Amino acid sequence: MSATPSVSSPEAALAASGPWPVRLDDVSVRYPDGTVALRNVTLAVEPGEMVAVVGLSGSGKSTLVRTVNGLVPATSGRVQVGPHDVGALRGRRLRELRGGVGMIFQAFNLADRASVYQNVLVGRFAHTPTWRTLLGLAGHDDREIVLAALDSVGMLEKVWGRAGALSGGQKQRVAIARALSQRPRVMLADEPVASLDPPTAHSVMADLARINAEQGLTVLVNLHLMDLARQYTTRMIGLRAGELVYDGPAASADDAVFEEIYGRPLQVRDRLGSAG
Amino acid sequence: MSVLAAPPRPRTWPRTVAVLVVLALITAATVTPAIGGIRIDLGTIARHWHFGWTKVQQMFDPDLSILPRTWKPLLETLEIAVVGAAASALLALPLSLWAARPTNPTWGRSAVRAVLNAVRAVPDLVYATVLVAMVGVGALPGVLTLVLFDLGVVVKLVSEAIDSADARYLEAGLAAGGTQAQANRMMAVPQTWPAYASQVLYSLELNVRISSVLGLVGAGGIGRLIDEVRGFYRYGALGVIIVEILVVVVLIEVASNVLRKRLR
Repeated sequence: MSATPSVSSPEAALAASGPWPVRLDDVSVRYPDGTVALRNVTLAVEPGEMVAVVGLSGSGKSTLVRTVNGLVPATSGRVQVGPHDVGALRGRRLRELRGGVGMIFQAFNLADRASVYQNVLVGRFAHTPTWRTLLGLAGHDDREIVLAALDSVGMLEKVWGRAGALSGGQKQRVAIARALSQRPRVMLADEPVASLDPPTAHSVMADLARINAEQGLTVLVNLHLMDLARQYTTRMIGLRAGELVYDGPAASADDAVFEEIYGRPLQVRDRLGSAG
Repeated sequence: MSVLAAPPRPRTWPRTVAVLVVLALITAATVTPAIGGIRIDLGTIARHWHFGWTKVQQMFDPDLSILPRTWKPLLETLEIAVVGAAASALLALPLSLWAARPTNPTWGRSAVRAVLNAVRAVPDLVYATVLVAMVGVGALPGVLTLVLFDLGVVVKLVSEAIDSADARYLEAGLAAGGTQAQANRMMAVPQTWPAYASQVLYSLELNVRISSVLGLVGAGGIGRLIDEVRGFYRYGALGVIIVEILVVVVLIEVASNVLRKRLR
């Protein structure tokens, strides 16, 4: 990584250098216990696209997004993220790729007993030598980036509070700030609103859509609710039992498409409902 | 009211009875000298209890003249306990992280665990005896003994606490491009802190008790004085020392309980 330029404004602190495309070429994932989570998935996401990955639980959505940052290695096939061939990366180069790919999780994955500040500073790991982290030394630029990231999700005043003391929606915002402080080129979201109540879910989805629009980030978001996919994303990938069964515009995906993806008739719980 | 067709309740009592019978047979075998068991002659209690009773009576007739001689070794005992707990606490934090699966997914974890299992297998008085022979009589072998003993206890309990806790936060640290060491330092340490601090306090409590007897083998503290007054049959003085140790142990436990409550 080149030297971090000095930071003059909050917007500049978070400016990414340009989104990355994501390409999966005939990717399969078989877990050590024999479960096949992905079967020959081929997929190309253009830089700056916001894509929903839709499917029931167990359909392979989580596995799909985790192949993008190498948390789950592809058993066969090729994953290309920006300039990186994910399967070939180890150690430092793998961490460099991950530094360019932000991720948020269904369970937020915050260290509850650490402060909000410390949790967001995690986003600077890939740009910080290990010895500096071990000694608890954060650079001035890192601090500015963390504060700007918290400000951009409206959580700046909680910066010194404990992460565990926040509500679910606030936790997910802190997790988004953590991902933003990486200054990522790609944002992955694994069921980001499944643990939230409907109004909070809508506001977190709106945050993601805003990040996609303002910063031009490539966004892959896993969802199991059809209305959220239609409302917030432009393109939709459907997964069923590890196979890609739909790839097309989200807006024009009708109920028949969702029944095909789910492999069963639609039910009430497939929709979140509107805010409020 | 309808009669529900519940599935028949599984019969578990034959298994319970079988386990109890096996346990009873093993216990009976261990006290049967004919087949290599130990000899336990409860009759000796009935025949000799009055010897013990006179000693207990002597203990309840305190010989306070020993008091001035107890302060220094008692303080030394406390100091050995505190230094031992502090030194082991410093070593235990990284070792606990290296001995738990979420914070160390590599093969190195098994190596750390194997070494600590070996360390824990040796009784404290054996450490003290060997260390006195190696580094000489005094407080140092006592401190070293307690460091080894505490490491065994604290690392085992803390690493098991890490293993059983939800560690999904570490996935976020790795996903952000961090090394395992970075994620451990910034996320696992604060998450583990209450369990760690609580076990360190517990090791301090244990240390005060253990360091009271380490002097019996020359490893410093009040134990040496206990050995001396016992050798001279001064049971009145022994009683005074026992009460002193009791007071110190209770005080340390109360203090440690107060501190532990504040960890929550």
